[in-house]
Amino acid sequence: MSSKKGSSAASQVVHLECKNLHSYLKSQTQIISKLYEEPSICLAAYRDLPEIAKQFVIRMLCVEQPVPQAVVQSWGSQVYAKENLAACEALTELRIWTEASISGGLTAWDLTPSFKRNLKIAWLGGGRSWSMFNSVEQNDAKSRDISFLDNYAMSRWNCLLHYMVDSNASKGSEMEGISVDAVRIILHANLMNRNEQDGSYMLTSQGFQFLLMDTQSQVWHFMLQYLNTCEQRGLSLVDCLSMLFQLSFSTLGRDYSSEGLSENMQTFLQHLREFGLVYQRTRKERRFFPTRLALNFTTKNAIVPENIIENGNINNNINKLQQSDDTNYEKGYIIVETNYRVYAYTDSKLQISLLALFTELLYRFPNVTVGVITRDSIRQALRGGITSRQIISYLEQHAHPKMIANASTSSFKTTSFLPPTVIDQIKLWENERNRFSFIDGVVYNQFLSEADFMTLRDYAQSIDVLLWQNERTRTMVVKKTGHEDVKKFWKRYSKG
Amino acid sequence: MSKSKGRKRKNEDEYDLQTILEDDISNDGTTEAAVPQASGRNAEKNDDGIQEDEYGAKDYRMHLELKTDHSSRPLYVAPNGHIFLETFSPVYKNAHDFLIAISEPVCRPEHIHEYKLTAYSLYAAVSVGLQTHDIIEYLRRLCKTSIPKGIEEFIKLCTLSYGKVKLVLKHNRYFIESPHPEILQKLLKDPVIQQCRLKRTEENMGEEFIKSQQNMKGVTFGQKTTVEEPEGNNEKNQVPEDLQKLIDNEEEEEEVNLETVSFEVDQEKIEIIQKRCIEIDHPLLAEYDFRNDTINKDINIDLKPAAVLRPYQEKSLRKMFGNGRARSGVIVLPCGAGKSLVGVTACCTVRKRALVLCNSGVSVEQWKQQFKMWSTADDSMICRFTSEAKDKPMGCGILITTYSMITHTQKRSWEAEQTMKWLQEQEWGIMVLDEVHTIPAKMFRRVLTIVQSHCKLGLTATLLREDDKIADLNFLIGPKLYEANWLELQKNGYIARVACAEVWCPMTAEFYREYLIAKVSKRMLLYVMNPNKFRMCQYLIQYHERRGDKIIVFSDNVFALKHYAKKMNKPYIYGPTLQNERIQILQNFKFNPKVNTIFVSKVADTSFDLPEANVLIQISSHGGSRRQEAQRLGRILRAKKGSFAEEYNAFFYTLVSQDTMEMSYSRKRQRFLVNQGYSYKVITHLSGMDEDQSLFYKTREEQGQLLQQVLAASDIDCEDEKVPGEIGGSRPGTSRKTGGFSSLSGADNEVYFEQKKKSSVQHPLFKRFR
Amino acid sequence: MVNVLKGVLVECDPAMKQFLLHLDEKLILGRKFILQELDEKHLFIASDIVETLQAKIDDLMDRISFPLHEKDN
Repeated sequence: MSSKKGSSAASQVVHLECKNLHSYLKSQTQIISKLYEEPSICLAAYRDLPEIAKQFVIRMLCVEQPVPQAVVQSWGSQVYAKENLAACEALTELRIWTEASISGGLTAWDLTPSFKRNLKIAWLGGGRSWSMFNSVEQNDAKSRDISFLDNYAMSRWNCLLHYMVDSNASKGSEMEGISVDAVRIILHANLMNRNEQDGSYMLTSQGFQFLLMDTQSQVWHFMLQYLNTCEQRGLSLVDCLSMLFQLSFSTLGRDYSSEGLSENMQTFLQHLREFGLVYQRTRKERRFFPTRLALNFTTKNAIVPENIIENGNINNNINKLQQSDDTNYEKGYIIVETNYRVYAYTDSKLQISLLALFTELLYRFPNVTVGVITRDSIRQALRGGITSRQIISYLEQHAHPKMIANASTSSFKTTSFLPPTVIDQIKLWENERNRFSFIDGVVYNQFLSEADFMTLRDYAQSIDVLLWQNERTRTMVVKKTGHEDVKKFWKRYSKG
Repeated sequence: MSKSKGRKRKNEDEYDLQTILEDDISNDGTTEAAVPQASGRNAEKNDDGIQEDEYGAKDYRMHLELKTDHSSRPLYVAPNGHIFLETFSPVYKNAHDFLIAISEPVCRPEHIHEYKLTAYSLYAAVSVGLQTHDIIEYLRRLCKTSIPKGIEEFIKLCTLSYGKVKLVLKHNRYFIESPHPEILQKLLKDPVIQQCRLKRTEENMGEEFIKSQQNMKGVTFGQKTTVEEPEGNNEKNQVPEDLQKLIDNEEEEEEVNLETVSFEVDQEKIEIIQKRCIEIDHPLLAEYDFRNDTINKDINIDLKPAAVLRPYQEKSLRKMFGNGRARSGVIVLPCGAGKSLVGVTACCTVRKRALVLCNSGVSVEQWKQQFKMWSTADDSMICRFTSEAKDKPMGCGILITTYSMITHTQKRSWEAEQTMKWLQEQEWGIMVLDEVHTIPAKMFRRVLTIVQSHCKLGLTATLLREDDKIADLNFLIGPKLYEANWLELQKNGYIARVACAEVWCPMTAEFYREYLIAKVSKRMLLYVMNPNKFRMCQYLIQYHERRGDKIIVFSDNVFALKHYAKKMNKPYIYGPTLQNERIQILQNFKFNPKVNTIFVSKVADTSFDLPEANVLIQISSHGGSRRQEAQRLGRILRAKKGSFAEEYNAFFYTLVSQDTMEMSYSRKRQRFLVNQGYSYKVITHLSGMDEDQSLFYKTREEQGQLLQQVLAASDIDCEDEKVPGEIGGSRPGTSRKTGGFSSLSGADNEVYFEQKKKSSVQHPLFKRFR
Repeated sequence: MVNVLKGVLVECDPAMKQFLLHLDEKLILGRKFILQELDEKHLFIASDIVETLQAKIDDLMDRISFPLHEKDN
């Protein structure tokens, strides 16, 4: 089967774009000042900053006047000039501070007043209290323990995933359906789209990639999509975002009050309940328990796909997975062997479905599935838009405890639980597909003079459509999309 | 996908039996070996009725019931006879030993092993004394689920008639013996067998059978091993009770006395009766009661105190001598793991005249060294019978010779003729067959007609044969007695830890251009002489020499061998190299710190023992032979000093030219090793290479000249070396059919057949995905 | 005047370029498709041949690969 580089020669495979908090906030330029009216958002934004930037903020928090840039620069050592610069850029992009001029003609940094004020509130108290914390601690006979909450959260979240998988696979699934709202979000996020012929829904390439992500990243990405559409549903983005962050600062196992929430926010709460971010015994109940999914709602816990497997970061990810029981409540179940065999100790339809995306399944036993990674199975996945990184990341996230134990006791230095040769080979199979690049283009040659050639070439270069050129043969290749402009230019040039 | 799997297997089976039958029709006067019907049985067929799930996988869930304590049991048994074993289970050790005894390993990587039950493997099981009932019961207890019905039946079918009857040589008389009188009755009803029976009227007048008690006390081998096996997980509380009982029982002594009945047979008719028993599905197990052999003189040979057996060596010998007699069969140990010691020990145990057969003159020398090293045998007792060695073989206790030496039909010198006569007249106590799977079956049958031996021990590193004629050897020598686990041996430091790598060398544009249009025979030469490959080879050699390593470079193609070696100014050895020059080069390699790299051709596969080499580079290798790959690896598998300090202490590189058929051959060769747990790293780039000015063929011009040379090379230059007298080498007049060449053009059905096995099952999620 | 040619720019490693030249020369795709040879790593080809070409490339890759795993022995 030929690759998807069809006659248009442009790739139809779209990679899933996952924004982290920083980029998300950056994109909300219109309302960012409104966002900073909420202490919880300020706190979340603060926590997401690079360490040095955090330092700057703390130092400036209680200072009334703007601080000269030179002073700020002096706070960091020369050795880390690059990091200092990055920290300043981050703060600027997030509008946490702005440039100001002070007497003496110096340029200074000034913390955005709303941010300053609300961050202080978040830390030191004051202001409007977070409604959900308005509660008298009652002895709740119906309190829930953490494992119950975990199970609830995962089963709710899995409903969503199952829906995405099931509606493609077999008709008549055993799982409960999900709400119309949830379906709308999935469609809006382009994780699935509608098949014109029979009206059924199909996974898109982004959908596949989404399914392979770890849970926290999925939740994060999904909720961002939700937020993108909440205004249309009459919910205030600021309120929702604020509440999400408040939840992330709450305590697992404790219940909170939903009294005092506006009707809109009550609706929002119900949605969160459906997705598994909070638990409520009944709809009418005034108390709710946040679950781990809500608590981990920050990018610190989400493993944003682009950063995986590059040299240093892999260790971070392993540490994250191993560190706290916190993120590790989903027990790993996949063993990958040096001979490409895969053994998955699961009978979950969802998990097996995902595994089958890039593995050839051989045998199904009652509690284990045996498969093998082959060139064909990986290529099938690659054609569907899944990258080798995503596959590798998925296998690592769900690595069986024995694989993890082995890696730590092995005397060899390994950066991953998976056999290195298998990782390498998967990447090699991906590279195979990149041996050729095809770009629609236009050749210009047989110029009469060198000057003509160089002028046209330079023009093409300047509008960024030059693909290839050779001075000696006076030949150049231009992007197809740039042809019109270049043609026009050439006409003008040859006339004038 | 499943259908094509089933079909493929059927083809293999048919092919097997077919060639065997064809061979039987051969008229070189050798004995035919029939194959019992049961050996044609195949558990894989059980899969035909199994449904597939939506992904194309065999769905066994309906057929198997999971036990509640499944997490404390170590394995799964599939209806098609495949068994999956968790290595991290507390009872892994026992389960592993059991599975080796009853099944064939398919792959044994780090965490989960796969085995398969075959008719041959079950035959081997009963040969070492396991009973049908025991096998099923043990398997049942070890299994996490219920045992598939078809499997029980399969085991019964394959084992019911096997292993119940033995052919025993005792006091120089031959007896058919069994613990089951009813089986002997059955046999005697057959007219052919009846005729073979010998009735010594003065002895068993009036009695049908001779009753006796067999003393089954096991033997000990030399000193007790001081090397303890590393402790496994002793979490007894996790092990289910029924399983624990079995394990405890296992560790008790074997039964000391067994009641048997037997009848004597005419020595002249041995082969007839063996063949007949096979035909009626009761193949005879050959056992040699050497302790009660009073007619054949003992030879005075013992193991030296310094000879300490490693646990796996002892295990394998225990399988052979488990009941006090010597069983015939094959022991499989990785190269470099000490096969020779096992052979020597076996000879010291039997203590009767021993014959050792090897592949080459050099191996003969090695075996002699080994005998002198580990046993009390001296020069007077050990004799070599080769075209070079002039020992007086007659009357010796241990004779070492080569397969070709005794099976060739050319004219011999008068002395050699006498020796052969003498050899044929002797009753040998034990015959050791080294590298037994390199011998063509026909040659082996000739050996059997020439040599009369009571016990045969085959030694080999792999049971693989590209032609899959396992059937023959199973019934000609005996079943597999023991097979060691490569990964475990590595872990315990008995063989070197090897880093295997496949180095991808891009073809230069000009060479590739020629490759695309070249005729089939030229292509191989083009991808071997690829300048980039040359450069990478040179670079690797320099790199390792700087580290102080000893390097061997292999090339099956002589043109390349000579070119590479001469250009890099390194010594090389190939067929025509004279013996004394070979010795000189090897000595230098061993002892001269200035000579650290040598180039060798295929001759080195069957000769040379270089324990100190720790880097192997392959620049051209016979297309696709897994056995050859494993054997070459064996060259560097001897455990190195300082084993545990570094990560790896030995390196195995295969250089392949990208985008050519060499890549696929390389992969095919690796399969065996990959299944033993090895992994091949792919190296696509050697850093620092581009900047290195000392490497040849940097410029287009140089490359161009090389290309001209290659294009001008003759057809003979393009082929692998033909080593005369090599086992499996070409005989005059026949051309060695190397599967590789026709495959090069892609016109070989074999290659396409493999490729066409693409999964026709598309993931349901993809079904409508554009 | 300048000569204008529409098509597809192909970038690849030198060996693969030889492969394409080979396909072109021997008319393996049924016709010639290389419009211009640019340099060691670049070719300019006809746009409508891309899918057929990709299939041929896949085919080459398939033929030189060999399954690494053991599904069945």
